[in-house]
Amino acid sequence: MAGLTLNHLYKRYDNSGKKKKIKNDFAVKDLNLVCEQGEFIALLGPSGCGKTTTLRMIAGLEEITDGEIYIGERLVNNLHPKDRNIGLAFEDYAMYPPLNVYGNVAFNLRAKGVDKNEIDRRVREIAPLMQIDDLLDKMPVKLSGGQKQRVNIARAIIREPELMLMDEPLSHLDGKARQAMRTEIKRLINKIKCTTVYVTHDQLEAMSLADKIAIINFGVLQQFGTPAEVYDDPVNEFVASFIGEPPMNILETTIINKGGTFFFTFQNSNLQITVPKRYYSVVSDGFRCKMGVRPMDVLVGGADSEGTPEEIATFENLGDERRIGIHVGDVLLMLITEDEKRYRRGDIIKLEVRGEKTHLFDINTGDRIREKN
Amino acid sequence: MAKIQLENVKKAFGKVQALDGITLEVKDKEFFVLFGPAGAGKTTILNCIAGIMMPEEGVIKFDDQVMNLIDSAHRNVAMVFENYALYPQMTVYDNMASALRSKLYRKDESEIKERIQWAARIMKMENLLERLPSQLSNGQKQRVAMGRALVRTPNVFLMDEPLAHLDAKLRNAMRTELKEMQANLGSTCIYVTHDFMEAMALGDRIAIIKEGKIVQIGNGDEIYYMPCNEFTAQLMGDPEINIIDADISGSEDGYSAGFRVKGEKVTYALPKDAGVYTKIRELNLTRADIGIRPQHVKYSFEPKEGYFKATVYSYESIGNKSVIVVDCGDDANSQLRMIAPNGLSIAIDSDIYIHLEMEHAILFGSDTKEYIVRYDEANYIALAASQEEK
Repeated sequence: MAGLTLNHLYKRYDNSGKKKKIKNDFAVKDLNLVCEQGEFIALLGPSGCGKTTTLRMIAGLEEITDGEIYIGERLVNNLHPKDRNIGLAFEDYAMYPPLNVYGNVAFNLRAKGVDKNEIDRRVREIAPLMQIDDLLDKMPVKLSGGQKQRVNIARAIIREPELMLMDEPLSHLDGKARQAMRTEIKRLINKIKCTTVYVTHDQLEAMSLADKIAIINFGVLQQFGTPAEVYDDPVNEFVASFIGEPPMNILETTIINKGGTFFFTFQNSNLQITVPKRYYSVVSDGFRCKMGVRPMDVLVGGADSEGTPEEIATFENLGDERRIGIHVGDVLLMLITEDEKRYRRGDIIKLEVRGEKTHLFDINTGDRIREKN
Repeated sequence: MAKIQLENVKKAFGKVQALDGITLEVKDKEFFVLFGPAGAGKTTILNCIAGIMMPEEGVIKFDDQVMNLIDSAHRNVAMVFENYALYPQMTVYDNMASALRSKLYRKDESEIKERIQWAARIMKMENLLERLPSQLSNGQKQRVAMGRALVRTPNVFLMDEPLAHLDAKLRNAMRTELKEMQANLGSTCIYVTHDFMEAMALGDRIAIIKEGKIVQIGNGDEIYYMPCNEFTAQLMGDPEINIIDADISGSEDGYSAGFRVKGEKVTYALPKDAGVYTKIRELNLTRADIGIRPQHVKYSFEPKEGYFKATVYSYESIGNKSVIVVDCGDDANSQLRMIAPNGLSIAIDSDIYIHLEMEHAILFGSDTKEYIVRYDEANYIALAASQEEK
């Protein structure tokens, strides 16, 4: 077991053969990450952001343009993939169809010439962990997607790698199977305490599995932190809107000063929200920025509420919770409630926003505007 | 716009009975959702209505007119598919106009233009009309596919998982938009999905389909609060409902439910509720499956009165909240799911104390798995009925 260190990592695909010259041709740009031993980190970002490229560079399947990769203390830049001692699990299961599950799991050890009894011992040890003990005699075609992925992961961890790399291992599974498998992966990693890098575009998967999340966009690391950090304290608008479902409401606002109290105001809307005191050091009358607030921090006020009356544009009853959408200018402000009350489109509610839960972002760059201490 | 009726429709593919006697009536201007797991026969129903498939038995009626022998082109239905099926060489405008330029539905160009502009406004894609499909994102493509259906005035819109291709975020955003458009649409729509949130949010009524049969038809509240069996209860809700196989004992002065946790017997008094107590007495219940949704399971890290001990199996975030799964031993009730806030420090395999809020329970037959009664039934019936009026 060992940690993983990425040091000023760059990747540029050679575009010389292509007709179109791509301007931003770095797939990965100056990536620095330190993953402690036994940590589970997720590389999260939209498709094309360079997360899989990063994973492939760590695995040695992709050449590095610049920078260094350390597994533990070892510099592995020039090491052959097979010498890096890495376990891989991809989205596709890539099993050997003529071999049964036992044969698939044992394949790697057999290829290495490990003693037969030793192989048997290790297969039997890992099978109950991955809950494939009663599948060992089955052929891959007889397995469901979830079972195949379990076999696939078993095959990777039986080699006792120093580092586990997983590339969207759950994306082929449907909702329920996916959720069950997520729980299994979490328990397994917790048990074997293997350093793991997990690539996904699904923020939910990253939030639920990882100790730390690296959020990447256009090849550039945006934020690296625990799930709670990236959720509660996003560094910019991209992270704020990428993490969380439904995403954070982000509205352009002009701040006005009414007799010493600052309010957020919005174009084509009567909505006014009190600016929390802590931002007073950074705002001024007429200050333009973006305000972000999570849907669960917007509330429906009671009869005596002093909130702004607003008309409901959408009401979705989802059983466990209800979502209400309200037009603020041309943006739909979403809020979530577990209240049993039913509304209809056109109903008027009093809208209250938890001012202390709002975030400010720069109107041009999207960077977080923080209060000064 | 039309009322759609299906009477005892059957369809088989070889030995597989895909539809096994489907009877349903979609009211005029209703948004009707067909909901069920993969392979339930939802799309087959849609295809039979569209005339793409011929049922072996049964009658399909549009406004009381039998449509079985009318070919699909003359049924005047508009379909939206999961894969958008746009003409790649045509602009968005031409894609939307394509049906109206066909022989059957020919309209003159000025009317086509008017209709397209109307549809584009509803679908919020007025700025996309000159683009080619290759220049659109997936969400925009699906909007075009829907807009193309909208420009016609069909008897019914048939939508087959139009959002299934989109990623979770976009899907939820599009669902909200669709909900907003629905009010302006004012037309009969049959919508197939396997996502319960879509079914709940969009459907005026929902039909739950399983293995070619209709399990239950009702509005969202009816199905969520009074599911007709455990299968439906488990489909509606995420994380899914907990089902506990319990013994019922006691008398009318106070019934209680008992079940085993890690080998030890746990007994819970069933709170008094006229409906529940009457049913238990009438049916002389000694056993029942008790359904409790995850939000009605409470936890504590300290021993507490009315809480029983279990171990944490997993703790994971599902976005704005988290789910704790606990292990209660190795019998049938082995795992319970509950909702907790994010960011707790909970070690896997540590002890936890659990409380079930029986006053929100739904009782199912332990053999039949069918709905018997729930707490506060009268209230929920009234709640569901109040949704019907609209």
